Amino acid sequence: MTNIIDPIAEIDEARVGDQDVVIGKSRIIFRRFMRNRTAVAGLFIFLALFLFSIFGGFLTSWDKDTLDPLNIGMPPSPDHLLGTTQAGIDLMALIVDGTRTSILIGLIVGGVSVLISAVYGCTMAFFGGKVDATMLFILEALIMMPAILVVAVATSGSGGLKDLPSWLLLVVVLLFFSWMGTARLVRSLSMSLMQRDYVKAAKYMGVPSRRIVWRHLVPNIGSLLVLDFTRGITGAILAEVAFSFIGIGIKLPDVSLGVLIGQATGQVSSFPWMFWVPLTVMFLLTGSLAMMNDGLRDAFDPSSSSIGRAKTKTAKAAK
Amino acid sequence: MSTNTSQTPAERLRDAGLYAPGDAVLSVRDLNVRFNSENGVVHAVRGVDFDLMPGKTLGIVGESGSGKSVTSMAVMGLLPETADITGSVRFKGKELLGLSDKAMCKHRGSDIAMVFQDPLSSLTPVYTVGHQIIEALTVHNPTMSKQAKEARAVDLLRMVGIPSPKDRLKAFPHEFSGGMRQRVMIAIAIANDPRVLIADEPTTALDVTIQAQVLEVLHTAQEETGAAVVMITHDLGVVAGMADDIMVMYAGKPVETGTVEDIYYNPRMPYTLGLLGAVPRVDTSGKQSLVPIEGTPPNLALPVTGCSFAARCPMVSDACLHGEPELFPVPGVEGQTLGHKAACIKADQLSGDADAHKIFQAPPKPVSKFDGVARAERAKVLELKDVKKHFPLLKGALIKRRIGTVKAVDGLSFDIREGECVSIVGESGCGKTTTLLEIMEFHPDQVGEVVIGGVSNKVATDHKTKMAMRKEMQMVFQDPTGALDPRFTVYEVLAEPLENLGMPKAAIKKRIMELMKLVGLQPDHVNRFPNQFSGGQRQRIGIARALAVNPKLVVLDEPVSALDVSVQAGVINLLDKLRAELGLSYLMVAHDLSVVRHISDRVAVMYLGKIVETGDVDDVFDHPRHPYTRALLSAIPVPDPALERTRERIILQGDLPSPLDAPKGCNFATRCPVFAALPAAKQEKCLTLEPPLASEKEGTQDFACFFPDGEIDSDMLVVHA
Repeated sequence: MTNIIDPIAEIDEARVGDQDVVIGKSRIIFRRFMRNRTAVAGLFIFLALFLFSIFGGFLTSWDKDTLDPLNIGMPPSPDHLLGTTQAGIDLMALIVDGTRTSILIGLIVGGVSVLISAVYGCTMAFFGGKVDATMLFILEALIMMPAILVVAVATSGSGGLKDLPSWLLLVVVLLFFSWMGTARLVRSLSMSLMQRDYVKAAKYMGVPSRRIVWRHLVPNIGSLLVLDFTRGITGAILAEVAFSFIGIGIKLPDVSLGVLIGQATGQVSSFPWMFWVPLTVMFLLTGSLAMMNDGLRDAFDPSSSSIGRAKTKTAKAAK
Repeated sequence: MSTNTSQTPAERLRDAGLYAPGDAVLSVRDLNVRFNSENGVVHAVRGVDFDLMPGKTLGIVGESGSGKSVTSMAVMGLLPETADITGSVRFKGKELLGLSDKAMCKHRGSDIAMVFQDPLSSLTPVYTVGHQIIEALTVHNPTMSKQAKEARAVDLLRMVGIPSPKDRLKAFPHEFSGGMRQRVMIAIAIANDPRVLIADEPTTALDVTIQAQVLEVLHTAQEETGAAVVMITHDLGVVAGMADDIMVMYAGKPVETGTVEDIYYNPRMPYTLGLLGAVPRVDTSGKQSLVPIEGTPPNLALPVTGCSFAARCPMVSDACLHGEPELFPVPGVEGQTLGHKAACIKADQLSGDADAHKIFQAPPKPVSKFDGVARAERAKVLELKDVKKHFPLLKGALIKRRIGTVKAVDGLSFDIREGECVSIVGESGCGKTTTLLEIMEFHPDQVGEVVIGGVSNKVATDHKTKMAMRKEMQMVFQDPTGALDPRFTVYEVLAEPLENLGMPKAAIKKRIMELMKLVGLQPDHVNRFPNQFSGGQRQRIGIARALAVNPKLVVLDEPVSALDVSVQAGVINLLDKLRAELGLSYLMVAHDLSVVRHISDRVAVMYLGKIVETGDVDDVFDHPRHPYTRALLSAIPVPDPALERTRERIILQGDLPSPLDAPKGCNFATRCPVFAALPAAKQEKCLTLEPPLASEKEGTQDFACFFPDGEIDSDMLVVHA
């Protein structure tokens, strides 16, 4: 029953001729995003956390390597805003550091995996045939590989990888396992784009295929890549937390939210702040990204109803 | 339409209940619909009034965005929650607006039913059609027994002309063709004997021969149920034969209403006049340009101050810009009914003999330098010799085995000379698009020879020959929106083929300016994106891109079928002009035979991958010899109510046969109306031998039939007296 949404699209079409009413696509997307209050709130929370992870160190005079022998395992106090661990380390300093690690891992993994999948997916769709089949086979094989095992082996320090800091090691491993889904999505999307008339037109004009991919395909999957970037960040942060929680991800002396949560699980009843504070931060982080993602999806989706009702506005106009 | 239009809306609403004709099944008064959009509130429907009498047909005609579909959706209560709807919609005196969705469900499907445009997506693929018909019955007749419902479903399928209805009840939608599915949709719509049947562009997605069948079914359905029909369409031909009254909508408002005769023979609103002149006709040869209506409909997000058509109207004066004219009764002409109303202050000036061509200043028919030269003396631009494209039909999941061959194109030979336009016509699935693709592919491995500008595909092995050929031939696509990269500015779109030829930057710039002027676009619009143009303008950009490299041959794939009628005329005139000025040749594929007749010099009728008739367009259209051509031509509705009601129509039975069991002798024998009337002895010949494509007399069209001009089987002839 596509007919039901049709009338609106029809009007959109008819109205396009008047130049003064044409709005750029990026502006429409921005507006739609801003209209989604949850998404805007998510954006602000994320930005706040990001700033906190960078400048949070100034909120406390302690750092994560200094022990405070006078305050061991103390609940929040004016001296230590979020309390201390049983070793006497300021929790605030740890959280700042952990958040930074988590966000860093998220951004790098999200960004780079989107790039890899875009290149890989476009290549598959573009060359087709045997290249496509081979690359698809590799991709499927990677999907089937047990990520958790590889992470465990890699971060346990075997194989001469000891020199790398554990967070970087985790980034590499997460990257290795995060791009396949998107690559497959990009492949199918590019394949359908290849069927578009403007791609055909370019082909019939004799434009070289490489240029067609670069000029026509890549820009047109942009919105998918943006969406996937934010989703990738969330995914990477959650994966880091999960791996570190079971003790195979980030290794001390590096701290991350996952490490902090993992350490505190045993003593939730005796040191509740040590468990709840990093957990809240993690929720805020992934939650804000999910909220943003929701708004972005709405903004990019042409058939979304983010525009709202006509009734409320006309009622106001009548008064 | 008995209320006085000069009243305030409130008064009209009050009066609607009092003065609406008591016997009207559906009265709509002052219907207004608003949507919210990125540009503010769009006032999509602005005050629609009509009364629908039982058993009558009202045609609502308008372009996309005129609010005709929104009106029908509002009546059915199908608009999204976010729309703001005011006014009054009364079914037999009962107000429908403001009813809850649940309350509305009682009326939907039983009192008021709807046939949607797209039959492919209107049926659920996972249920059998029988299930879906019975579902419609169950909802409104919970007490009906299972046997009764099944019997009724069989009845309904028989009524809409589906063969062996009892077995087909268990078939799934994908087992039906598009036309058959639309019949099922009609069966579902009339299942509960609705009093009002709303058909929203019911045949737009269908082929002409199927369209004729479906219109016939709608006609029967209306006769059987006595329902009043609201027929929404953009095609003035489709409603000419069916409707009793017509309402022409423009920018969300009815601009002219009246009986069919009033509207078609005596239009009093310039817009109606222009629309009628903008449609090419299949029954007259195209020696005159079409009436172009310049410009685009107004932006309905802004308040309308003057006449909404003023910006495009050739008769506009200052008075038109002050206050929007209401629908006023047209001052009496003898023999006129009182119901004829037009929203134009100059309605008096447009008496019965107004000439749309003069008023809209249609350009003169352009003359090409090749027009005087005999066809045989002109050079060949394109030649096809026995081109074939067969697709293997495979079955089996792991090991594919060949179970048959689809002969999409089966031995096609024709040529195109300089300065002429050759059109390929036929139903969808006949292989016309495959032919175009074969020509565009231009690959040495193809079966058959394609010669473009003297270069044969057999020698086109290196990149250089291919590039030379690409320069000779360019393509214009059907959907102007899809053919332009949304992220390219017009400049980039037009520069692409030129850059590809390695032209220097300055030369490219100059050429683009030339091109913009050539296709009638403002040169300073080159920095805009395609979505900032209307459909017609986008198609002009597509044409400009095709012309960029100065080709000799332009391949047009349904160049105007995605455009509105008024815009279509402008593009057709442009194509005509370019052909004459630049000496271009066209190869066009189109399903709209009226457009084909207007624009082409020669035509080839295809059926199942073969040409069945070809020749000069006037020969073929005026004296069709092959029964398929005759059926195809007779299926096209003509925007002339008197003619439409009396003319004979050949309604073909069934659809294109599946390519798997393609007939052995003449391809067309299974559906042929002449074959059906032949004595058995002569039928034998059609079934065993394949008729060759040849002409009867020198200098006339070629056709492939043993019994040209044969008598048509009376079962397939329909006349509405």
